[in-house]
Amino acid sequence: MHGKASKELQKEVIDKGLCTLCGGCTGTCPYLVVYDGRIVRLHRCDMSEGQCYHYCPRTYMDMDAISRHIFGAPYGEGEIGSVREVFLARSTDQVIHQKAQDGGIVTTLLSVALAEGMIDGAVETKLDEEKNPHGFIARNREELLECAGVSYEPSPVIQAINRLPNETTEKLGFVGLPCHVACLSKMKLSPPTNRANIEHLEPVIGLFCGWTLSHSFHRFLQEHFDLAKAIKFDIPHHPEHSFDVYTPSGKESVDLDEISPYINKACGYCFDMTAEFADISVGSGRAMFKGWNTVILRTKVGAEILDIAKGRNAIEIQPIPDESLANLKRASLDKKKRALKNIISMTGGVDDLLYLGISQHLKEMLLE
Amino acid sequence: MAHIEIDAPGTTQLLLGNEAIARGALEAGIGFATAYPGTPSSEIMGTLAPIAKKMGIYAEWSINEMVAFEAASAASLSNIRALSSMKANGVNVIADFLVNLQMTGIRKGLVLVVCDDPGGMTSSNEQDTRPIAKWLNIPMLEPSTAQECKDMTKRAFELSEELGMVCMVRSVTYLSHTRGNVRFGRLPENKKVAHFDDFYNIDDPRQSRYTCGMQFHPYKQSEELLKRFAKAPEKCENSPFNSYRGPEIPELLIISSGICWTYAIEAVSILGLQDRVGILKLGTTWPLPEGLVARYLNKSDKVLCIEEIEPFVERSVMELAASLPPDQPRPTFYGKRSGHVRAWGEQNLNLAIQSIASVMDIPYTSRQSQDLEYRRAAQAVAQTLPARPLTFCPGCPHRASFWAIKIALQLDGRNGFVTGDIGCTAMGMISPGSFQVRTYYAMGGGVGVAGGFGHLGQFGFQQPVIAVCGDSTFFHASIPGLINGVWNQSNFTLAILDNSATAMTGFQPHPGTGITATGDPGKKVSIEALCRSLGIHVEICDPFDLNTTIATLLTMMRDEGPAQVVILRRECELVRERKEKRNPFRVYVNPERCIGESCGCNRLCTRVFSCPGLVWDRDAGKAVIDEAVCVGCGLCADVCPRGAIVKEAL
Repeated sequence: MHGKASKELQKEVIDKGLCTLCGGCTGTCPYLVVYDGRIVRLHRCDMSEGQCYHYCPRTYMDMDAISRHIFGAPYGEGEIGSVREVFLARSTDQVIHQKAQDGGIVTTLLSVALAEGMIDGAVETKLDEEKNPHGFIARNREELLECAGVSYEPSPVIQAINRLPNETTEKLGFVGLPCHVACLSKMKLSPPTNRANIEHLEPVIGLFCGWTLSHSFHRFLQEHFDLAKAIKFDIPHHPEHSFDVYTPSGKESVDLDEISPYINKACGYCFDMTAEFADISVGSGRAMFKGWNTVILRTKVGAEILDIAKGRNAIEIQPIPDESLANLKRASLDKKKRALKNIISMTGGVDDLLYLGISQHLKEMLLE
Repeated sequence: MAHIEIDAPGTTQLLLGNEAIARGALEAGIGFATAYPGTPSSEIMGTLAPIAKKMGIYAEWSINEMVAFEAASAASLSNIRALSSMKANGVNVIADFLVNLQMTGIRKGLVLVVCDDPGGMTSSNEQDTRPIAKWLNIPMLEPSTAQECKDMTKRAFELSEELGMVCMVRSVTYLSHTRGNVRFGRLPENKKVAHFDDFYNIDDPRQSRYTCGMQFHPYKQSEELLKRFAKAPEKCENSPFNSYRGPEIPELLIISSGICWTYAIEAVSILGLQDRVGILKLGTTWPLPEGLVARYLNKSDKVLCIEEIEPFVERSVMELAASLPPDQPRPTFYGKRSGHVRAWGEQNLNLAIQSIASVMDIPYTSRQSQDLEYRRAAQAVAQTLPARPLTFCPGCPHRASFWAIKIALQLDGRNGFVTGDIGCTAMGMISPGSFQVRTYYAMGGGVGVAGGFGHLGQFGFQQPVIAVCGDSTFFHASIPGLINGVWNQSNFTLAILDNSATAMTGFQPHPGTGITATGDPGKKVSIEALCRSLGIHVEICDPFDLNTTIATLLTMMRDEGPAQVVILRRECELVRERKEKRNPFRVYVNPERCIGESCGCNRLCTRVFSCPGLVWDRDAGKAVIDEAVCVGCGLCADVCPRGAIVKEAL
């Protein structure tokens, strides 16, 4: 075992600027809380083994072990993780379309799963009045719709899982960013004690993510927009170069260059763009397929839900063009290479990759 | 409590040293007594106040020592004998007034009783007040027994009037808090008329005797003071409180005073040195009975001074030796300076034995170290004594306040800190207050220091500062610091932990309670009204409402504005319990929910929160409520992360 807990979490993750604010370490104990965009240690915990440290996606991730547990095979060397199918999809539900970021696939799949009784609800990110993101358990279609759309700020959504009562028998779907999915995958590999049964959490739907914006961005938003009126945030794909805030009276934009200083530094060390340990990963259709989602189907659980959704004509599907797939893979590979470079520059050597437990061969391949 | 007021001359009563001091004041016929609570002095007023009306005395708990002593002086200037009592720190508070009062002298007997605290068991330091007497030319008596506590207090009033100046009586913790036999004297006839004689007389326009700095030439009054004080040595010379016990020509002369004299006598007896060692007891430690001391200095080659805290008598005797006639042989001095007497902390019998044995160069092994069976028995007894770490009482609102302060400071995240103050809130500097108090000096010091920190912004200082004081401490000395901070726009938050009691010293009333020392209704002073009159932001929170308290503190810390006040108000649990005589909640632990040491709790309640009402059942691996200790405040139920602690309203 690692023999480490919150003190080491502070030293090895938070103080090094690696924390993604996923909420994996909070909600389950009285020692760690999320406050004002930070993980705060309130009291001294003297555990020698802490689940906070253990499940943090920025402490050691044995990628092979996790991959074996989820996919039955060691971690591969493909750019976008373990893949059954990649395609483009969008919802046929106009209500969802109005609210959704791109093709509305996430809300639609969960909505179908809920209607079919496959799940009792889903752990999602919801924005409060001030548009601060937080974990939320949506238990009906209306609540699922309330969670549609993207926040761009880190959401400690895992905290909502940690807060579930131990004895709950609810089956809940999950939607999160790659760091959230990574945290959840560690929990699934070695289930936590004194918490709700982690096996009840499926399907896991991952969202593509390049980076999030740090909490100080929220103050920027507050200063520039009337957040109470904001309906949706968007960063449209190239050639657009803006951050858009949609309100009932229209769209307001700021130049993307104004946003870039707020990019979370921790995201520079992230190896995963496509939420590789999810059952289904979902991203945008990019500029070429506006209003569509790019979908990566990874597991049997994911396939079951997609089949039902297709069977109910809740979604429509088209193949992804080779060029788009190649772009996706290139972007994902770029993120891996960038993360590796940043990690090595932090540790000062290729032998210490911080949390990243990848094979020697993959490492050499990426460093070429 | 002893009945110190009974008119039974010649009878013997068992009294605390402090009760004996109060009795001495009664026998001296005082009409006026004032004090500010402070261990180990509090029982003096605590004994006088309840009988004050019956005895025709005005008794007052004042808001601080300075006004207490000033008020007592007024009685003296109006021909009424007056007593003012305080702990050592209080003498610092009155120092300025005391210096100036010495310039004018007094009229009727005025006695300042100070109770020093060697070892600082209930104090922030172990200050010795005797050097203050020497510094200001104040006669000082130092009792060794309860009987002397009474007799010396009475004598101090006479001495005060004979010399026309305030007189000091110095007790120490061990003497003040130990019972001894006291033979009562007569209570005087109760006829007192107060009148201030030195009022303006139209036919004799002149400066009052009771204004210091005569014609703005203070040195003239210094000369008068020295003349008055010059009569003091002869009064001490023949004092019955000084005595000698031992052989005519001792090999070793011990000079001792106060409680240490009793240790010295017993030590000499245990060592069987009665025929070789003599003990000179000094009851008048300032000024020294110089003739008496000089006579005994002439009789021995070796002199050992045994006393507590400062080597006060030791130095004074050495000064005296320096002025002896050149043909008189100089003895060798042993004591704190030579390292033969421990220079810090309380003295005790064992230490006295060691000091004497080392000077006499005789081997001494204590029974503890030579008798194995005795040692085993002693250790067995020691093990049965439960450890009693300093802590907040069960249900104490301060535990909640410091819990909220700690969380607010952690959440704020700018390395903010607490400047602390004297009283129960001082516990904030140790574990029960999560070590939150980071500076701790003197009454009112918290807010004063905070005022300074709050002005360091221009040097890059960005840490939020929370000054903490109790309600009694607020009235005592925090108000000027607050006003200064408001006026000078210093950036800090003053948290007044208002438990509506002077709890640390035994629930003496203060202006916030609206009750006076004699139990009569006074005018209740509103802390919030007083603070709001400064035009500043004042919030009032119940510290048991942890979330609101934390949110309020966070908002106040973020506010860049000038000084603000948050009153964390909840009645002291001990006061509440006495009034209501029942617990508000039944509190118990649901063992099925308690996860104990496991990850997710790690014994938050018994390891971090640490209320004495919660105990850790090691065998079961669960927390349990100690029903004998728990007062049912229910705060732990709000703190438990698992909902395992249940509170049910009663």
